[in-house]
Amino acid sequence: MKKLIKPIEPIIGKSLDRVESFIHTHPKVNFLFGAVFGAFDGLLRSAKETTQTQPFIRNNYDVKRFMGAVLVALVIGWVLPALYFFGWQCVVSKLLVSFIIGVFVVDVLWAIIAREDHISEGGFVTCLLIPAILPPQSPIWLVGLGAALAIIFRNVLGGVGNNLVNPALFSRLFLTICFPSLLVTGYQMPFVGMPDLHSFRYGLDAVTHATPLTAFKTNGEVTSYLSLILGTSGGSLGETCRLALILSGLWLIKIRVVNWRIPVSYLGSVLIFSVFLSLIMGKAVAPPLFQILSGGLILGAFYMATDPITTTYNQAAKWIYGAGCGFITVLIRDFTTLPEGVMYSILLMNLLAIPIQSLMVRIKYRA
Amino acid sequence: MLREKENIGFKGGLNLLDTYPLRFCNIIERISSDGIPEVFEFRVPDQKIQHVIVNLCPTEPWALPNWVILEHKTAAFLNKLKEIKTRYFPEAKCYIAINKKEDEPNAAVKDYAGDAEWMKVFALAAKYPQDDPVILSKVVLGIETNFGQDAMTQGILILDAQTVSAIYENCMLGNKVNSRFIALSGTGLKENEIINVQLGTSLEKILRNRVKESGKCRVFVNGPLHGREVTDLSQKMGWSINNIVVLEELDQKVMFPMFKSDELVLTTNMLGESRRCVYCNFCDDICPVDLEPALYYHSYKRGEKHKVRLYNLEKCIECGLCSFICPSKLELLQIIKECKALDKQK
Repeated sequence: MKKLIKPIEPIIGKSLDRVESFIHTHPKVNFLFGAVFGAFDGLLRSAKETTQTQPFIRNNYDVKRFMGAVLVALVIGWVLPALYFFGWQCVVSKLLVSFIIGVFVVDVLWAIIAREDHISEGGFVTCLLIPAILPPQSPIWLVGLGAALAIIFRNVLGGVGNNLVNPALFSRLFLTICFPSLLVTGYQMPFVGMPDLHSFRYGLDAVTHATPLTAFKTNGEVTSYLSLILGTSGGSLGETCRLALILSGLWLIKIRVVNWRIPVSYLGSVLIFSVFLSLIMGKAVAPPLFQILSGGLILGAFYMATDPITTTYNQAAKWIYGAGCGFITVLIRDFTTLPEGVMYSILLMNLLAIPIQSLMVRIKYRA
Repeated sequence: MLREKENIGFKGGLNLLDTYPLRFCNIIERISSDGIPEVFEFRVPDQKIQHVIVNLCPTEPWALPNWVILEHKTAAFLNKLKEIKTRYFPEAKCYIAINKKEDEPNAAVKDYAGDAEWMKVFALAAKYPQDDPVILSKVVLGIETNFGQDAMTQGILILDAQTVSAIYENCMLGNKVNSRFIALSGTGLKENEIINVQLGTSLEKILRNRVKESGKCRVFVNGPLHGREVTDLSQKMGWSINNIVVLEELDQKVMFPMFKSDELVLTTNMLGESRRCVYCNFCDDICPVDLEPALYYHSYKRGEKHKVRLYNLEKCIECGLCSFICPSKLELLQIIKECKALDKQK
């Protein structure tokens, strides 16, 4: 790879330098395209700043790599399984719409209007999550709207680093309120297998089917655990194949992008509370293992709740945060008419993260 | 007596020796100063010394390695130490910190320590900043000292191998010690080597013909992590200089950095853009004294510098690991120093 790119390196480098100096000497061009160029340049070349203060060497690891690792994990965790289970016609179109509207239209427009220095890679993660948390049969425009809302919401609050709540989940909450019918009914059973000529001919309008949690709520039916793990049951586009999600989540924990405390405390508290409730109430509530494996819990615990900006910074407070997420999830699933509570629990705990953080800091330093 | 300690009283830290493996040339060159060299003098401290810690566990790859001083004759070195101890610090106890990965001195010291009651050996993991005085006295003795405070006030004397042998030469044998070994390394040099320099030699003379001709370079004394940068090369060399690191100044953009991670290490480049804090917890995971540097950053950014000292600021040993690891490239150490200075003014 290194040898392949060596001859073209000086050519690209020189032309990038030329474009850069052109942009910087023309204020109007800089206003419109400076941000776009900056983002493109940042992908191809390293920064030129050098250290001026102690320490004089820095670790070769930056936010771009951080986000890159999340992107890789998400592709392995839900995009590849979804391609297999729901067909590429369904997944690719949604991803394209989400990325084009979210990153290349809304974020670039925002960068131009708000005079940001550059669009940030965080947008890719958000836009990759948007199709994952919507039903497989949700229309394309809904995905685009969700991506646009998420990016606008994040930017209004001040961009990556200032989010109050997870932007992808906020956008889904908005869509749930505005278009409840689309978000409740658009679930289908996975195809299992690559799409064949049949699906080309007749399209992809499969029959809608209740998600495992809705099925349990309506007639007490417990889906088989094996199909939940492998992803052959219904659900949102990205949440069905728990095996891939868990494996890529563990990889993220290993390279320390995801803090292990949150998935452990989230899943642990769901297990504890659901065991506790099923001991008291018996068959009226969902069995513990079914709770862990169904719905968006795995996706939420490994990818949404762990979004470092919206959680607490203090490590001890992370345990409380995760446990709170688990508690609210079990409460909503067992005692309300809503089948699924992961989205609400993460959003609520995101809001509570700041008070928890300041409380723990006070306990740690002033006790 | 032998005791093995790994990370007791000390979490976090970074294994720099594995991150930046540096190899030194075995041949040691001598450099003499142009004028009359300065002489090393050892003054017996006024305070009563209860603990003597000999640090044979350098944790930075650019620091002077042990074999230069010990010359694979660890037992002879320990004999010297014993003589110094019986003469100057008869009531004190000796603690020797060795790197548990270095087999040869490790075995020799353990052999020697078998029946010696006057010394204790600690086989430590060579994780930066294990050899910092604060951490060392906490791990070895269990005594808390403050950063910046002279450990001598608490009866602790911390010596490195070179100082021990210089004290022996000077006080026991009566010879004049006017030269010391220093380690030269870094990407800006033609070769990593160890030299024996007379005290008082200017840095310019040491680095002459050793620095690569092409490109700009920056010179750091006592390592790029917690050492200082030297811009005036006419400075004279003193006993406190353990090593000199010369790094390439990489102040231009590099194409496709993702394929060139081996070329980019050990340069002065930031290796990333400066961003907002993303709450990744890297800084408090790596902090050796269990602080949360990002809290300082957030307080500082909100303009509440006075609040910073509520968060155990005085414990910070300024090792620089938080700034080193930060993926958002925040100047955390600089913020800490600024807030500490504010504290002192009051």
